Amino acid sequence: MAVHNITFTLNGEAEAAVVPSHMTLLQMLREEIVMTGTKNGCAAGECGACTVLLNGEPVNSCLVLAVECDGQTLVTVEGLAHDRQLDPLQQALIEIGGVQCGFCTPGVLISARALLDRNPHPTKADVQAALVGNLCRCTGYVRIIDGVLAAAERA
Amino acid sequence: MLGKSIFRDDAHGKVTGSALYPGDIEKDHFLHAKLLFTGQPHARMIRMDTAAAEAVPGVVCILKAEDVPVNEHGLVMLDQPVMVGLNSKKPFSDVSRWEGDRAAMIVAETEEAAARARDLIEIEWEQLPVVTSPVEAMRDETIIHGEEPSNVYKHYRIRKGEMAAGWAAADVIVEETYQVPMQEHAYLQPEAGVSYIDEEGRVTVEVAGQWTHEDQTLIAHALDIPKEQVRVIYPAIGGAFGGREDMSVQIVLALASQRLREMGINRPVRIQWTREESVIGHHKRHAVTIHTRWGAAKTGELTAIEVEMILDAGSYNCTSNKVLGNAHLTVAGPYRIPNAHIDSYAVYTNNCPGGAFRGFGAPQGCFVAESQMNKLAIALGIDPVELRLKNVLREGEASITDTPLPAGISIKTVIEQCADKFEEPFSGAQVLPRSFQSLPADPKALRRGRGFACALKNIGFSFGFPERSEAYVELRGRGEIDRVVVRHAGADVGQGAHTAFKQMVAEAVGVPYEKVEGVFSDTAYTGDSGSASASRLTWMTGNAIRGAVEKALTLWKQEERPAVGFFRYQPPPTEMLDDKTGKSNPNITYGYVAEAVDVTVDIETGHITIDRVVCANDVGRAVNPNLIEGQIEGAVVQAFGYAVTENLQSKNGHILNPRFSTYLIPGIRDVPQKVESLIIEEPDPQGPWGVRGMAEMPFIPLAPAITAALYDATGVWFNELPLTPGNVRMRLKNTLVPDLT
Ligand code: FES
Ligand code: FES
Repeated sequence: MAVHNITFTLNGEAEAAVVPSHMTLLQMLREEIVMTGTKNGCAAGECGACTVLLNGEPVNSCLVLAVECDGQTLVTVEGLAHDRQLDPLQQALIEIGGVQCGFCTPGVLISARALLDRNPHPTKADVQAALVGNLCRCTGYVRIIDGVLAAAERA
Repeated sequence: MLGKSIFRDDAHGKVTGSALYPGDIEKDHFLHAKLLFTGQPHARMIRMDTAAAEAVPGVVCILKAEDVPVNEHGLVMLDQPVMVGLNSKKPFSDVSRWEGDRAAMIVAETEEAAARARDLIEIEWEQLPVVTSPVEAMRDETIIHGEEPSNVYKHYRIRKGEMAAGWAAADVIVEETYQVPMQEHAYLQPEAGVSYIDEEGRVTVEVAGQWTHEDQTLIAHALDIPKEQVRVIYPAIGGAFGGREDMSVQIVLALASQRLREMGINRPVRIQWTREESVIGHHKRHAVTIHTRWGAAKTGELTAIEVEMILDAGSYNCTSNKVLGNAHLTVAGPYRIPNAHIDSYAVYTNNCPGGAFRGFGAPQGCFVAESQMNKLAIALGIDPVELRLKNVLREGEASITDTPLPAGISIKTVIEQCADKFEEPFSGAQVLPRSFQSLPADPKALRRGRGFACALKNIGFSFGFPERSEAYVELRGRGEIDRVVVRHAGADVGQGAHTAFKQMVAEAVGVPYEKVEGVFSDTAYTGDSGSASASRLTWMTGNAIRGAVEKALTLWKQEERPAVGFFRYQPPPTEMLDDKTGKSNPNITYGYVAEAVDVTVDIETGHITIDRVVCANDVGRAVNPNLIEGQIEGAVVQAFGYAVTENLQSKNGHILNPRFSTYLIPGIRDVPQKVESLIIEEPDPQGPWGVRGMAEMPFIPLAPAITAALYDATGVWFNELPLTPGNVRMRLKNTLVPDLT
């Protein structure tokens, strides 16, 4: 089985890994690097729990091969806070109540971060469009939408 | 401290990614496990060959039925083998009754090796007739559990009043058949867990469940060791909704650790299910068929009801007999019914077992009761809200079990407040729903309607179950209380229970929230809390906390440092239904809810959108309003899934769509434009500070409110769920032919 030496930037830090060809980015994060904030809800691109930023774009990490990340830039939920300062999205979800079981939360936050990066003043419809791939079984989404809108307003 | 929307304690870890769910726990030198499901809805094992599997490099051990000391489990009845296979001491263990039955647990150095070995296990099966229709199962031509005389293993009755008199007094009779489907919990975190031997030699399982001490009991039973030698810990839990009440990976993990110990291998084991394994491998909300007849006088008073209800229990009981009991009672709604004749049956089939799911029988019962009330309202020409108000139970009146409901009946209040709020104008319905992004709906095809429904649901376990909740509260400091530590097993499945517990402790002790610390959900440090289900956890825990705080404060005054109070709260006992009449006091207390909806339906495509929901939910006393609103919104959207989008399909005992791409839970675009939560606070006299359980209630009346709104919009009644576009269009097409091409 072919293995590859890859290097990439993960949450602002240079990182290297040795990965087999068939390993997904999600597997690499969770099993190789043991950074488990990114969740596996389906391993098939259907739930969004594994969403990470790849060069600033949200992707389902279960559908990306690790080897594709060679030389690229990745951000996971662990990379959203800076110097113990939470991202406004993280703060807003806590305060507004957009977190229940929290299993969808990392993916929701990443998709929402990507949205605010390209559109700092989204409408409710924009938020819904950006999070259409992120399933949540607990919150009914109401407080997720409100949290993202509040974070945009505060920023 | 009560009534404050304190931010939940666990949110920080959950937004930063540091919260550990069972699949995130890291230990040194993990071994990995895979389960082999039989894939056989009904078959007898003839031969099992694991030689090839055992030869796979990295395989450490393979556990089979014969390796389970006591090969049985089940929350209420021990009717389920831990593993199906040969040479088990438990009779009939060689029969697979469910495609999700387990045949082997493979432990290996890597997940890949375990999976490869699993795929190399050879099993020869003798096929048995697969029974999937409960009606067919009732004929007992094929018995699914060899030790049982019949597939119909539970039958409840209500015999109340004089039916002939009841029908004679009826001016209007509505007779209908309803069919409600299975529902998958679809919590986002698939089952996972780790097990190891802890420093005190206990077989320890870290897993996501709903009741640590029940997991502990069932593990100890299957392993045939004392409970004290088993430890269960819950880390962060990724949703539950009833779906984690039964054993998934708990027993097999413990079994693996026990076996590794015997082999002299001191390494932890981990298992993680895929999404498909999760959907195939755990129970569902029950499919139920109900035939019923309701009579009412011109003035609106109900005179008689007759019900026959058949609940598909699937292959094992899980909690079906209890769910049946709840459906059996809630099918009469919160109404005064002088004459009633109800027969309800739980029937084994080879379908996926039915079990606990938010509402626990009440969504099924209520769908029938409220649909009947809405139809009677039309037939009588009485406003549906008014009709309900005429018939709702008042303090002291005989309920369907011929005894009064416990004091504190607030159904009238929730109905009135919901209706009042709904009267307020709402402009949101102007937005046209879009069935498809690229294909906007034709405005001429859109119909709008409004619907109303209400419900009651018991809080706590019923029918004579010995309910209890234990809490320890420790007061630390010298002159003043500096710190309070609460120890409680109650599971935080995502609802925020631990935050609510700490608020109640702060309230009872009279200290700021920040001074309270919690030690939760570890059988090594906590007493039995009972389950995180039946809307009971805050209610029971609050009562336990109050008792423990009172004891701790007494000791504190006697200068004990630290002062530790322990209290085991036991609510008043309940009763099983009388076999012949159903007469009993089956429940401790109830929660009450009403919902009104504005719905738009596209009659060309069958798409339904909810424009607005008003939910009036009596919570008794709001411990944390933000968490409560979160429960209401989550329940409403989950109920929208139940009523409209989710369509679990099963053929010959095999689930056909165990994936999110084919089993469609609501997404962020399915959310009603507005969910208005009305938190009502009519105290429950037995609740701590008046608290009532609340988290199931908002789920319950949504489906019948939607079908009433659909009738309002189209003039067509829908007696079957789910209301998927295909189903809706088909029925509209068959009924409204002139309108549709
Ligand atoms: S785990 Fe990647 S989309 Fe579900
Ligand atoms: S908070 Fe549980 S899935 Fe979103």
